[in-house]
Amino acid sequence: MSGYRIHRPGERINRQKPVSFQFDNVQYKAFSGDTLASALLANGVRLIGRSFKYGRPRGIVGFGAEEPNALIQLETGAHTVPDLKATQVELYQGLLAGSTTGYPSLDFDLKGLLGKFGRFMPPGFYYKTFMEPVKAWPVYEKYIRKAAGYGHAPVLPDPESYDHLHHHIDVLVVGGGAAGLWAATLAGRAGLKTLLVDEQAEMGGWLLTERRSRIDGLSGMDWVSQRLAELASLPNVSVLPRTTAFALHDLNLVQAVELLQDHLPLTERNAALPRQRLHKIRAHQVILASGAIERPLVFGYNDVPGVMTAAAGHSYLNRYGVAVGREVLVQTQNDAAYEAALDLAQCGVKVMLADARQGGAAAWRQQALKSAGVELLLGHGIAKVLGDKSVSGAQLVKLDGRNNQVVGSGPRLSVDTVLSSGGLTSTVHLFCHNGGRPVWNQQQLSFVCPDEGRDNIACVGAITGRWELSEALGQTHAAVAALLLGHGRGSSGNAPSVASEEVAAPRAIFRLPDGKPEGHGAKAFVDYQNDVAAADIHTAIRENYRSIEHVKRYTALGFGTDQGKLSNINGFAIAAEALGKPIAEVGTTTYRPSYTPVTFGALAGPHVGETFDVRRYTAMHASHDARKAEYEVVGQWLRPWYFPKPGEDLHAAVNRECLATRNSVGVMDASTLGKIDVKGPDAREFLNRIYSNAWSKLDPGKCRYGLMLDENGMVMDDGVTACLADDHFHMTTTTGGAARVYSWLERWHQTEWPELKVRFTTTTDHWATVAVVGPDSRQVLQKLCTDIDFDKDAFKFMDGRSGTVAGLPARVFRISFSGELAYEINVDANYGRYMWEEVMKAGAAFNITPYGTETMHVLRAEKGFIIVGQDTDGSMSPNDLAMSWAVGMKKPFSFLGKRSLLRSHTAGDGRKQLVGLLPLDPKVVLAEGAQILSNTDDTVPAAMQGHVTSSYHSAFLGRSIAMAVLKDGSKREGDTVFVWAHGKSVPAQVVSSVFVDKEGVRQHA
Amino acid sequence: MLVITCPYCQEAREEEEFSYAGEAYIARPAVPEEADDATWGDYVFHRKNPRGWHWEQWQHVAGCRKVFAVKRHTVTYEIAGSWTLADGKALYLKEQA
Amino acid sequence: MPKQGFQPFMESPLHHFKLDAEAQARRADGRIWCNELPHLGYAVLRGDTAEAGFAQLVQQVTGLALPLQAGAVSQGPQGVLMWTSPDEWLLVSHRQRLADWTAQLDGGFAAQQLFAQTVDSSGGLTLAWLGGTEHITVLRHLGVYDFESIPLGHMVSTVLGKATVQVIRLDGDGVFVLFRRSFADYVWRLLRRAAQPYGFAVCQLEARGDHPLFAQLAAPRPSLILA
Ligand SMILES: [Zn+2]
Repeated sequence: MSGYRIHRPGERINRQKPVSFQFDNVQYKAFSGDTLASALLANGVRLIGRSFKYGRPRGIVGFGAEEPNALIQLETGAHTVPDLKATQVELYQGLLAGSTTGYPSLDFDLKGLLGKFGRFMPPGFYYKTFMEPVKAWPVYEKYIRKAAGYGHAPVLPDPESYDHLHHHIDVLVVGGGAAGLWAATLAGRAGLKTLLVDEQAEMGGWLLTERRSRIDGLSGMDWVSQRLAELASLPNVSVLPRTTAFALHDLNLVQAVELLQDHLPLTERNAALPRQRLHKIRAHQVILASGAIERPLVFGYNDVPGVMTAAAGHSYLNRYGVAVGREVLVQTQNDAAYEAALDLAQCGVKVMLADARQGGAAAWRQQALKSAGVELLLGHGIAKVLGDKSVSGAQLVKLDGRNNQVVGSGPRLSVDTVLSSGGLTSTVHLFCHNGGRPVWNQQQLSFVCPDEGRDNIACVGAITGRWELSEALGQTHAAVAALLLGHGRGSSGNAPSVASEEVAAPRAIFRLPDGKPEGHGAKAFVDYQNDVAAADIHTAIRENYRSIEHVKRYTALGFGTDQGKLSNINGFAIAAEALGKPIAEVGTTTYRPSYTPVTFGALAGPHVGETFDVRRYTAMHASHDARKAEYEVVGQWLRPWYFPKPGEDLHAAVNRECLATRNSVGVMDASTLGKIDVKGPDAREFLNRIYSNAWSKLDPGKCRYGLMLDENGMVMDDGVTACLADDHFHMTTTTGGAARVYSWLERWHQTEWPELKVRFTTTTDHWATVAVVGPDSRQVLQKLCTDIDFDKDAFKFMDGRSGTVAGLPARVFRISFSGELAYEINVDANYGRYMWEEVMKAGAAFNITPYGTETMHVLRAEKGFIIVGQDTDGSMSPNDLAMSWAVGMKKPFSFLGKRSLLRSHTAGDGRKQLVGLLPLDPKVVLAEGAQILSNTDDTVPAAMQGHVTSSYHSAFLGRSIAMAVLKDGSKREGDTVFVWAHGKSVPAQVVSSVFVDKEGVRQHA
Repeated sequence: MLVITCPYCQEAREEEEFSYAGEAYIARPAVPEEADDATWGDYVFHRKNPRGWHWEQWQHVAGCRKVFAVKRHTVTYEIAGSWTLADGKALYLKEQA
Repeated sequence: MPKQGFQPFMESPLHHFKLDAEAQARRADGRIWCNELPHLGYAVLRGDTAEAGFAQLVQQVTGLALPLQAGAVSQGPQGVLMWTSPDEWLLVSHRQRLADWTAQLDGGFAAQQLFAQTVDSSGGLTLAWLGGTEHITVLRHLGVYDFESIPLGHMVSTVLGKATVQVIRLDGDGVFVLFRRSFADYVWRLLRRAAQPYGFAVCQLEARGDHPLFAQLAAPRPSLILA
């Protein structure tokens, strides 16, 4: 047993609230306020996982977001969460966790055997080993994937909910340590709308660990309490704990995720509340006070469980009342780690401290340690750690004072724990997410944020390299006072007073030497999570990777879920040494969101389930439900697809619907068609410009089919437009094209022809449209309407009338997308369902048959009517569609797309053109999308002639039909082509695409 | 996400409310039939795509539905301003001169 | 003739939620209270403020001053007139009154040869009222606009989730959310979902003579609507 509980004044756990939890099927006890990591350490658990590549035993290294090793699987079933850091999981009663690695068990790991041959797995191992043969890769991959990775994603639907919250504020402060608290206090006092976020459950940052400092005469945590009380009293300030700002985007858009219920037992969570909340924060001013993280030193076998950062050892002691070992070696190159050594020693732990510096820390610190009984080994470094699944000792060497070289052997110490400190690394991530670059500070040995910050982003405290509290608070006060002045506000109060202390400079050392050439001694890990050792970085450089971005990708340095918080600077420094360049010149890799992993649930927020996407419904939807419609999604609309009777499948229903419509009468909900009111003295001229056909002579009461081309001359939409009055038109568009066409009209009007007096108003949702289709449709309409003359000569094909239908004012258009006699009735959509039901009643005597989109498709294909987007793909001109009749080349204004129709390419031969296809076997329905070949020779690559765009069984014709686009199709009627799909070649004859009623007798009936 | 000021709604709004409407002030040949294929092709297909300041059109589709001009830097995403199409054109032409 | 046999009925865009069945009297209990104002009349008004006579005619017919400032809402006992674009407004009133107004307006526009029009949108739009202490927070859960900043007497057109809506703020008590018929199911579900942490309840909305919108809830007169 290595770790154990020890009472500490000011500890953050509640000894009155014991909790029990389970890790890898073993029950343990701990306290409320513990993290899973502190609880495991207190119970003497060290082995938490196996490493990614070599399966080496690994334990807890850090105490927060920086943790690379202790990735755990939390809970089971639908509530399971993979790869949480044990250091960030707040303990609750009944918590269930397990390790994510180790096969067949954590204690005996097969991959661990592979690890013993580690030197045979250099960087690029997988690329180098599994390159050949290419076809075998799927086999390799299967096993590699199995061996790789950590936790497993849940396979059950997430039972919890998530939401988003948008903020528009003056000041966002990221980080609730001393600097952040003071910045928020100043901004709050100045009356600015201020939000302070911190990732931890408790504010205070390093003050939660460090207990010696006094601020304004108060203990650190008393000062924190004072700050929080003041902030709580300010109505313009909000403080959010458990909230990680994980991304900073342009113009100070910061995303932060708040853990609202993760710290609660599953049974105590409130189902009405979200588990997590994603905050999207627009702040005029961002103040980054995200502090710094202590990095370890790199030395041989520095990954053995029981090797941790000094800050971690210090924090477990003071925050959680956990001594991480009984005999502890602290290895440092700076003064700060002396604090950990001192506090541990004062708690009765046997402590030794090795300092890479010949002179050690400031004299007062050395004195304090000696008084506490700590043995000091100046000018020493660890060559390698001893032990396998737990630290049993360390072999030290004597270091040269100037060069990072070994000058002699050192003692072999018997210890159970090693704490190391390689200095602090500023948490610059957010500053760099949208292009900011950190600068190298050679005194503080860290990439830091510049003091001046950048536009509307201030950086305060340790993020600027101010490690000492007195300096950090001084700089915070000055920086925030300056920015308040910039906002025209004064600052009130003086900078908090903290006594400054003498500090000795740290030593610029990252990799402790062991006297052997790199790669020949004990493996020294830089990135624990990806098993990147110092030797791997040297290998990458030797193989001529020069840019640090390439070194990162070759070695996987910093790629893990910890994003290299402990490893990056060590990695850069080792690369710099290998390259013979200063660190500043090597630079950093790119910092990208997210700072720490974010759940998909939080990102999706409310956009899941029934609110995942917009579902648009017509006014008649309840009627379709009552008639058991099957639906399909068209655009965002839910449209009836077909109306099966009991026992019918799609084909049976569609055959019945088609025949009923052609033989008596069918009815369809056409409400989803886009509708645009076009009005103004220049409306007609505008239509002439925007449509390819002519509109000058369309009289009121008449409708016309219109084709819209883009400037490239290709068909982009179509629809029927009715002339209501000389200056007033009712335009219809395709269902999916409605929004696009509406914007298209507005843009051309506003950008190119603002002088035209015309206006567009969308009326898609206002009108509910019932299409009554078939030879008996006239009689149905006559039963519903007495003030319109439906005589065939009074109300002709392509006429429109206003009148009273079923007692309601209505616009009735005699238009047809089926080739049948047909009418479309438009009424105020509040009456849409009423109208549908009245039509059904009136049609009952004629066996009126509701039909959906599938029958609509068959009926129109029988007539060779195109569907834009199905039979066209943005590369079809009117000529390609045999629709030159809809192009008014003589119109005076050069309508959109006209000039392009004359371009050599558009007017030339060899274009794909719309044709009809009749499979020689009438029972065969061609596959839509199937490629067309000229012969049966399927040698690869085949000369592709085109493809099938629409294909159906026509019940009316008793055979299959298809539409296709075919190279030079307009000249190929009568040819036999071969349609290739699903490994088969099917012969078909090229015919006219009008299969039914070529003369148009039916629609003119 | 950008924050764009709509000159009609006279307010800075989130990008989510707008729809990009392409490069601004592309001149449509006055008599297209007189333009040769190269000139017409240039008008239809070729865009400036600069690294730096760019005049572009945005439509406030979730708001007033007006199209307006924005001068935006394609590297820094800085927005120099937004104008009605007519007001922006004067500035644009001055810059081009 | 068959006309007397017809008994037209209206269904509002949120009809299928049967809101009236669960509506209760509103209480100040921290919950979000919401309901639809069904069957109001809506018309898009288009015109050119530079044309003499346009604003005057609108004022004369509706009793509402034409709002010229972005987002401004003109209010009166008979309805509201909202600025939606420099040449576009939305008129909301009782259905029958709106039909009367638009007939008079279009007649007047034609007579004065103004480049102006109304477009009936009564079938295509609906309004929901959203109240309760956290009603603005509910909007903040769903949309990027700074809803706290909407001045009383203003509306803003923006996005909630993936739908375009207009949020109308006439007093501090609640907001009116205006949306399209086909998006109504989605918007309602979204509001209901976002309100869940605070508690969501459907409230009774009654005609209130002194309110520019609640006053318009007076029962429609079917005979007139059919005219
Ligand atoms: Zn706008």
